[in-house]
Amino acid sequence: MEDFLYFFTFQDPSITWVVLGIALLGIGSAYVGTFSFLDKKALLGDAISHAVLPGICLGFVLAGEKDPRYIVAGAFLSGALATFLSSWLKQNTKLSEDSIIASILSVFFGVGIVALTAIQKSGNPEVAGLNSFIFGNAIGIAEADLFLYGGLSLAILLVLSLFLKEFRLMVFDPGFGKAIGFPMKSIRFVFNVLLILAVVIGIQAIGVVLMAALLITPGAAARFWTDRLQPLLLLAAFFSILSGILGTYISFVLPQMPTGPWVVVFLSLIALLSFIFSPKSGLIRRFLARRRYLHKTHRDHLMKALFKAKEAHRELLTLEEIRALYPFHKKEIEYSLQALSKQGLVIQDAQGVRLSPQGTSNAMRIVRLHRLWEVYLNEFMNIAPDHVHESAEQMEHLLTPELEALLEQRLNYPALDPHQETIPRESHDT
Amino acid sequence: MITQVPHPVLEVHDLTVSYDQHPVLWNVDLSLPAGQLVGILGPNGAGKSTLIKSIMGLIQPTSGFIKIFDKPIQEVRTRISYVPQRESVDWNFPASVLDVVVMGTYGKLGLFRRPGKKEVQIAQDALEQVGMSAFAKRQISELSGGQQQRVFIARALAQQADLYLMDEPFAGVDMATETAIFQLLQDMARAGKTVLVVHHDIHSAMNFFEWVIMLNLHLVASGPKDQVMTEELLRKTYGGKLNLLTQVTDLIRKQDFNPLKS
Repeated sequence: MEDFLYFFTFQDPSITWVVLGIALLGIGSAYVGTFSFLDKKALLGDAISHAVLPGICLGFVLAGEKDPRYIVAGAFLSGALATFLSSWLKQNTKLSEDSIIASILSVFFGVGIVALTAIQKSGNPEVAGLNSFIFGNAIGIAEADLFLYGGLSLAILLVLSLFLKEFRLMVFDPGFGKAIGFPMKSIRFVFNVLLILAVVIGIQAIGVVLMAALLITPGAAARFWTDRLQPLLLLAAFFSILSGILGTYISFVLPQMPTGPWVVVFLSLIALLSFIFSPKSGLIRRFLARRRYLHKTHRDHLMKALFKAKEAHRELLTLEEIRALYPFHKKEIEYSLQALSKQGLVIQDAQGVRLSPQGTSNAMRIVRLHRLWEVYLNEFMNIAPDHVHESAEQMEHLLTPELEALLEQRLNYPALDPHQETIPRESHDT
Repeated sequence: MITQVPHPVLEVHDLTVSYDQHPVLWNVDLSLPAGQLVGILGPNGAGKSTLIKSIMGLIQPTSGFIKIFDKPIQEVRTRISYVPQRESVDWNFPASVLDVVVMGTYGKLGLFRRPGKKEVQIAQDALEQVGMSAFAKRQISELSGGQQQRVFIARALAQQADLYLMDEPFAGVDMATETAIFQLLQDMARAGKTVLVVHHDIHSAMNFFEWVIMLNLHLVASGPKDQVMTEELLRKTYGGKLNLLTQVTDLIRKQDFNPLKS
């Protein structure tokens, strides 16, 4: 608790700096990453982030110490080389994009690990912090580094907001962009530079292995909540900042803990929660919608049974008769009866259950839809009368009043269904 | 039966196009007058889309050239409007109908300038013309195929061009909408615009187009509808691929280089 207060009240200026840095790089990578997620180029970000490792080693060797300028420059160069190679290979070989990206990722990362091991064996005393580039360590960021990373983040945000319209076109319809004369190749080039920069500024805090998650997951999680580009970008940035700060906090409390994996844990948690709770396509919503529909079908079936009894000149059915009709749905019958009584559609008394006038009209509509659909299948789709019932059992719950009107019109208000049963209509309609 | 015109809006000169090493259009040479509604007809794989894309400069031709308003395409892009095939984009992209139609104004806006009130107004007018005003705020993935097609046409209208190139704009569109849009295109042609439409239905082509281009790997015909929509030319267009031409295509594909490249 003390740690928590100490961290989140920002008494320690170095913590303030780190949090600010993480927030900035979170926004930058979430913005760029959301575009590359929408562009279905998520793997390219992963390849680039692994591919910067050899560059980091090169930067270290050239500087002889952990100088952030050399590291960033080296990382950028090797990331750029990987990006260039992947598009060159795609244009000049028949290899598929996923094999190209997989090979580039493993080749560059392999070379990087070899170089890293060689540097560690060399006995340079400065080598200690180099390992943190693998999984990231936000707390280890020095104040001087932060100016570089923060500045680059700001530059990314600036260019992105300048190119918003162009990047939107690049992802949605690059062919159209080319047709109206936009230099789509240059726009793609600028975007790739931003993507590499976003990776480069993240490696110190998040690490090369997991940087792709910081690019892609915020956008993917935010996509569950919105259908518009601008809210999507803002929400992705928010998710990214939130998990960045939480990850940094864990690294602060438990000094051996690398930041990257914890940021990814929090990000994945947000993505999972979005998947479950999203109001448009979430798991819970889909579950509830399905359950609502099932309840409706049970109620519809019950009313249909009562209506058919009425057709056979019986005003009511006893509870036993209803249960005998649906022997496997005892609970559902209770539940449906309660709901229908409450809506005033059925009347239940000591003798049994009967339809109210409104209930009769509703039940009649369900039976009418069922039989109309049977006629339609039989007449328009040439399906034999003994094959139409199953489909009608499903459609009777789904068809809208508009479709009902269209069916009536197309079939010219038929009197009988294919089984020679009357298609029931309200007396004022017939 | 190829009718050439003086002072054409569009001149395609001896155009040959290959994908990799696979020739898909042979020596197409045609010219079009202004103010016409032009249909491009031909069977699947006849090179209809390829012709449109080559005119737009989206594909580099193997040989030949194209002039629009007597100039190369790069100089007149803002006067040309393009409707790509509907399947060429991902309709799950997070955007509203209005967002997509506003893209039609990007060309005249140029780089870096954000669309403002004027551009939104142009887009709304375009939506009105295709009868989609009520859908302006709708997410594009919620639209039916025919509605998506109309959004693309609205985007082309928002380009406010003089030459319109439309690649299968009626695929998946119901008859009533097709007729309404054809009437809109006819009005545009009457106002002096030239509209090129890749189309697959010969019946409605008969009713609406004034000028017809028939393709089947090579140019079969180009001219006023009454002169080219003959049984003989239709049979030439739709009566299967030319056996000899297909064999030559295969021969070229087997070479280690493209012998057609000039």
